[in-house]
Amino acid sequence: MAIMGTFAFEDDFLAAAENLVSSGFDNISLLSPIPLEEAQEVLGLGKSPVRRFSLAGAMIGGASGIAMCVATALVFILPTGGRAIIAIPPYLVITYEMTILFGVLFTLLGFHFVSGLPAWRDKPYTEAASIDRFVVVVEGTAGEQAAQAEAIIRDAGAEEIKHVEDGG
Amino acid sequence: MVSTFVEKLKAYSKPGYYDEFEYHWTMTIDLDRCTGCEACVVACQAENNLPIVGEKRYARNREIKWIRIERYWEGDYPDVKMGFIPILCQHCDDAPCETVCPVFATYHNRDGLNTQVYNRCIGTRSCAIYCPYEVRYFNWFTYTWDEPLEQQLNPDVSVREKGVMEKCTFCIQRIRIAKDNAKDDDKRRVRDGEVVPACVQSCPTEAMVFGDSNDPEAEVSKKMKNERGYKVLEELNTTPSVVYLKKAHA
Amino acid sequence: MFDHGQPSYADVNKDVLSTMLETGPRYWILLGTTMSIAVICFFMPWLYQLFVGIGAAGMNRNAVWGTYISNFIFWIGLSHSGTLLSAVLHITNSHWRKSIYRSAEAMTLFSLMTAALFIMVHVGRVWFVHWTFPIPNPMGLWPNFRSPLMFDVMAITTYLTASSIFIYMGSVPDFAAVRDASTGLRRRLYTIFSFGWRGTAREWHTLGWAYTFFAVFVIPLAVSVHSIVSWDFALSIVPGLHHTIFAPYFVCGAIYSGTAGIVTVMYCLRKFLGFEKYIGQVHLDNLGKLLIALSLIWSYINILELFSTWYGGTSFELEALKFRLTGFYAPLYWEMITFCAFVPLLIFFKKIRWSWNKMLVVSILINIGMLTERFIIVATSLPRKFLPDAFGFYLPSWVEISITIGSFAIFATLFLIFIKWVPAVSLYEVKETLKPLRRNT
Repeated sequence: MAIMGTFAFEDDFLAAAENLVSSGFDNISLLSPIPLEEAQEVLGLGKSPVRRFSLAGAMIGGASGIAMCVATALVFILPTGGRAIIAIPPYLVITYEMTILFGVLFTLLGFHFVSGLPAWRDKPYTEAASIDRFVVVVEGTAGEQAAQAEAIIRDAGAEEIKHVEDGG
Repeated sequence: MVSTFVEKLKAYSKPGYYDEFEYHWTMTIDLDRCTGCEACVVACQAENNLPIVGEKRYARNREIKWIRIERYWEGDYPDVKMGFIPILCQHCDDAPCETVCPVFATYHNRDGLNTQVYNRCIGTRSCAIYCPYEVRYFNWFTYTWDEPLEQQLNPDVSVREKGVMEKCTFCIQRIRIAKDNAKDDDKRRVRDGEVVPACVQSCPTEAMVFGDSNDPEAEVSKKMKNERGYKVLEELNTTPSVVYLKKAHA
Repeated sequence: MFDHGQPSYADVNKDVLSTMLETGPRYWILLGTTMSIAVICFFMPWLYQLFVGIGAAGMNRNAVWGTYISNFIFWIGLSHSGTLLSAVLHITNSHWRKSIYRSAEAMTLFSLMTAALFIMVHVGRVWFVHWTFPIPNPMGLWPNFRSPLMFDVMAITTYLTASSIFIYMGSVPDFAAVRDASTGLRRRLYTIFSFGWRGTAREWHTLGWAYTFFAVFVIPLAVSVHSIVSWDFALSIVPGLHHTIFAPYFVCGAIYSGTAGIVTVMYCLRKFLGFEKYIGQVHLDNLGKLLIALSLIWSYINILELFSTWYGGTSFELEALKFRLTGFYAPLYWEMITFCAFVPLLIFFKKIRWSWNKMLVVSILINIGMLTERFIIVATSLPRKFLPDAFGFYLPSWVEISITIGSFAIFATLFLIFIKWVPAVSLYEVKETLKPLRRNT
C-alpha cells in the first residue's frame, strides 16, 4: 500500500520528506510541478550518472567519426584537387560533428536509463502535481509503518492524504 | 602486414597522391597562330554531343560550350585591337573543383585528367563555383535534338540529362580508344599523335598541340618549353595542364 | 519580470494550456491560409522545376548558385536564435529567458527544416541526394568527406537531431501537464508523449542534468554549423568569397537575424495567444540590448571586410568590391547596410526599445536586411570571378521569388501546428520565476 500526501506549500513538503527519510523510509517519491533542488538533496541525489553516458557517447562519436572518414576514403582511391587521400583537417570537422551527434544521442539514452522513463505502468499520482501541489508518496508500507508515515505527513501539514495501490 | 599498412597510410596522407601519372595529357595553344575562327568550338560540339541550347537560353547566359573563345578589346576606334584566347577545362593537377564535390563525381584520374562522372553527379553545382576559369557547364534542362540532328550524335559519348554538370574531357573517348588499340597492339604505350581531340584536329592553323608530356620526345613536351609559354591564372596554384604560348606582338 | 502582477501556478497552467486546448475559427483560417500559400507558392513551382529542370530558376553559367542557396543560409541563420536563447542563457542562468525559450527553440527546429527543404530544391538531381549520406550500398561508393558540402550535410543532420531532442526533452514535463488537463484521444497521445512523467525528484534531477548536457553540446554545435555553412563559400577561391572572416561573419549574422526573428515571433505570440502576462518589457528590453550588441559586431565585421579588401588592392578583389558597391545590385547593398547597421541604432533609445510595435518594425527590417545580405553575397561575387570575358549577371526568376515567399508560409504553418501541440510557453520554467509557494517566507 502507498501513502500519498498532498501539500500546498513547499516548506511543509520538504519538512515531511526530511522526516520520512530520517525515519528510515526508503521507497519515497517526491512529486512537484517544478524542479526543487532541496527535494533532490533530501533524497541524496548527487551527481547524475547521465554524465557518464554523455562522455561515452562523445568518445564513441569522435572515434567513429575519424574511423568512418579514413575507412571510406580507402575503399576507392579517388584523389581530388591534388590533396592527400587521408586529409586530416577536413576529417577533423566531420569528427567534431560526429562527436556532438553521438554525445547527444547517448545523453538521450542515458536519460531514459537513469530516469526509468518511459514508465507505462500505473504509479501513484495525482493531477494536481503538475499544477501547483507538492505530493509525497511512500510506497511499500503496511500496518504500523503505514500509520507512522501517515502521521509524519499529517504533522507536516498535508492538505490531503490518500491510500493508493503501490506502483507496478 | 602492419608495416605495409603503416606505409600505405603514410603514402595516403601525403598530398598529391600520384607521384607520377601514367600518361600526363597536356595541351599547348599557340596564341600567335590562333585566328579566333571557332572551328574548335564547333568540332567539340559535334564530337561530344553538346546540346543545342537555343537562342533564347543562350542570351540568358546558359550556353554549353566546352571550349570558348574569350575576346578582349584594347584601345579606341580606329586603333582597336582584339585579343582572343580559347579557354577550355585546364585539367588542373590541383583542381579546386574536385575537392568540393560531395559525392566524388569529379576526381583526378591516373592520366592527369580531371574527370566528370555524369552518373554520379547530383547537381549541387559547387564545382562550378570553385572553378576559377568558369569552364564547367550545367544542364539546366534536358536538351533534345530535332530530327534529323540526333543522327549526328557520337555513339562513343553519352548524352547528359538535366541536373548534371559537364565540361571538357580532353576527348576521353578518343584517349580510351587509343589506349585500347595500343594495348591490343602488343601492350605498347600510346604513341605521340595517336590521340587527337576534336578541337586539336579541327584547328586550321594547327595552333593546338596535344600529347603526353611524360614522353620527352612528344611534340607537346617540346612546345611546352617554349619561352613564350605561360599558364592562365598560374598564381592561383591550380597547376593547369594547358600551356598557352603568348602572342608575339609585331 | 511580470508587468501586470504575478500569476499563480494554476493561472500559468490555465493560460498556457487554454491556447492549446481551445481553438477558435481564426486559427483554422490562418492555418488554412498559410498551408495554401505554402502549396501554391512553394510546392507547385518546385514540382514544375522538377519536371522542367533547374533552368526554371534564374541561374546561369556564372551564378550557378542563386536564391536557393542564399535562402538556405538565411533560414539556417534564423535557426541560431533558439540555440543562443535556450542553451547559452541556460548555462548563464538568465531568468528572462524562461518564458520565451520554448518558442525560440521551436523557431530553430522549423527554420532548420525549411533550410533542409531548400537544399532539396537547389540540387540538380534530388532523387540521388541520398548519395551524400554514408549509407552502405552495393556500389561500395561513399561520399567525399573532404568536401565542404559534406561538412554541411553532417553538421545540419547533427543540428536537426540535437535540436529536436533538445526541444522534446525540455517539453516532457509540460506534456505531462497537457495530459493531466485533457481527456480522450488527446490524453492518450500525451501519455505516450510524456513517457509517464510524474515529476518525481529523481526525474527532475535526471532531466536537469541531461538538459544541461544537451545545452553544452548544442552551443559549440551551433557555432560550428554556421561556420561550416560559410565555408561552402570561404573554401572556394572566388574573390568576393575567399575571406577568413566569413565564419565569424556568418555566425554573428545568424545570431543577429535569429534574435530579430524572436522579437517578431514574440510579438505574434503576445498578440494572437494573449501571452502579454508572460512576455513583457523585461524580455523586450533584453532582446533589444542583444540586438544592439549584435548589430554593432555585424557592422564591425562589414567594415573589416571592406577595409581589408580595399587596402589589399588585388585586382580581382577590387573588381568584386566595385561590383558590390556600385554595380546593378548596389541599391540592395545599401539597403542592407541601412537596415542592418543604421536602423538598429535606434534601439539605443528607450522609446524604441520599450515599444513592442516599434521593435516589431525594427526586427522585420533587420531580417529583410539579412535576407538581402545573403543574396548580395551570392549575386555580387559569382558574376565577378577571375576572367573578365566570363563576367555575367544574375536575376532571380518568378519560380525563385515564389519559392522564397512559400518558404515563409511553410515556416508559419509549422509554427502554427506547433502552438497547438506543444505549450508555447514553458510551464515549469515560468513557475520557477514566480514567488515560491512557501508557508513561511
